[in-house]
Amino acid sequence: MKKLPQYFLFLFLGSLYSANLESTFLVLNHFDKFLPNADSSLIENFSNSTFEFDSTFHILFEDIDNHANPASSHMVTIKELGEKYQVNYILFNRIEHIDDRFILNGLLFNTRSGGLIHRRKVDLKQYLNGQINELNMWVGNTVGQVEKKWENNRKSILFSNPEEINYEKTPRGAAIRSLVAPGWGQLYSDKKVSAGVWAGTESTLSLAVLISFLNYDAAAKSYKSNLTLYNETDDEKEVAKYRTNAESDWDDHVRFSALAIAFAGATGTGWVANSIHAWIVGPRPYKNLYQKWNPKSPNTTG
Amino acid sequence: MKCHRGQLIIILACLVVYSCTIFEKDFDNPVDFEANEEKGIGAPTLVFYPKTQTKTTSDSVIVGSFIVFNEDSMKHFSGVHLQIIFPDSYLELDTIKPGLFITDTSNSMPLFTYTFDSVNTIDIYAYFLDTLKPDLEGTGHLADLVFNPTSTGSDSVSYQLNACEMIDHEDSVIVLKGDRGAEVIVQ
Repeated sequence: MKKLPQYFLFLFLGSLYSANLESTFLVLNHFDKFLPNADSSLIENFSNSTFEFDSTFHILFEDIDNHANPASSHMVTIKELGEKYQVNYILFNRIEHIDDRFILNGLLFNTRSGGLIHRRKVDLKQYLNGQINELNMWVGNTVGQVEKKWENNRKSILFSNPEEINYEKTPRGAAIRSLVAPGWGQLYSDKKVSAGVWAGTESTLSLAVLISFLNYDAAAKSYKSNLTLYNETDDEKEVAKYRTNAESDWDDHVRFSALAIAFAGATGTGWVANSIHAWIVGPRPYKNLYQKWNPKSPNTTG
Repeated sequence: MKCHRGQLIIILACLVVYSCTIFEKDFDNPVDFEANEEKGIGAPTLVFYPKTQTKTTSDSVIVGSFIVFNEDSMKHFSGVHLQIIFPDSYLELDTIKPGLFITDTSNSMPLFTYTFDSVNTIDIYAYFLDTLKPDLEGTGHLADLVFNPTSTGSDSVSYQLNACEMIDHEDSVIVLKGDRGAEVIVQ
């Protein structure tokens, strides 16, 4: 138990010492095109590491794949370079450009063992600051410090995940628009003919509802008026006249009520159907792209 | 949002359906033979008009007595005897006036008289005595009964149909097939 404080002191000092240890790199860059900020970018982004730059040794590593054991192909040279430059690692980066693509070939050697401890080869379509970004990712991967912005920058050249694609126009948007105003959703989907048909149909039906309701209302009011007159007279001729009028109004108000309800039902059903139709014909991404057949092209099927 | 949209659709549907209310066909004027027939009362019918009235104790209550014929089965008549019972608990008889139907015929002066038993029964006798025209035809006003309310109450003025009688100029009895009372409410 008495040795416990000594143990913790040893552990603390060990941790302190190991934290102060820096990774030191000899960076051997060989780029077929000049990349202006390559060196400064590494220095800025990896401040915990020390970089020495020398571009005269790249010839040594170009034939590495021709060796039977690439990992141990240059052990002596690596160790010598390590002693010469007083670095822990040697980082060889080669970037070649082919058309609109570039190839980054990265090799990381440990100067203590002289062996190849990490290797990366990426073949990518060029993107904005892509070479520097890939260089940062490669070095960041070796020192365990990869920033999210580099990953996002690389993702910019990739196709989006279908689930993450937000379309400007959607079937749901079309359905909601048609629910607000018949035909709007179809117009939103550039289906102008069906938009016109739906808008026209629903307008006509709505007008029919309105006319039927107004006729119903007029007939109902006239019925009540004639009924009042009928009840208020004791003259047999007036009784007969008002009754005849009231019965005619009653028949009318029943007929127009039935018409108004029927038209309202048709309007409501049509309205919902119009919204469903808007959803069905709503804008969707094309899943299959076809090229028009060119009969003049040579038959390659044999 | 979806819930609100659903509620809106239901409210609109209810608005359309309930705004188109179908009114009840309610024809019930006692002078209308069709309305009486619909209630199972055949013509000729003795009725009062209005069928119901509400008055205060300071008002006069006027009840018109009418004979109602079916247009398709008119009969000529010359005299009637009406026996009417009224609720004497809150009404007292003031006067009885001949109806327009039997007084507005030019050159035709009817014999119109009544008796009152001083309790609640009135007997009215009317005879059409013109020399040129022997009788009357159709629905018409026979008499107006004027009452004074003595207190508040609610009851009916009614005919004693078995005591009522209608005759033509040859003294043949015309069968009365029905009657309708009138409700008088004094508040």
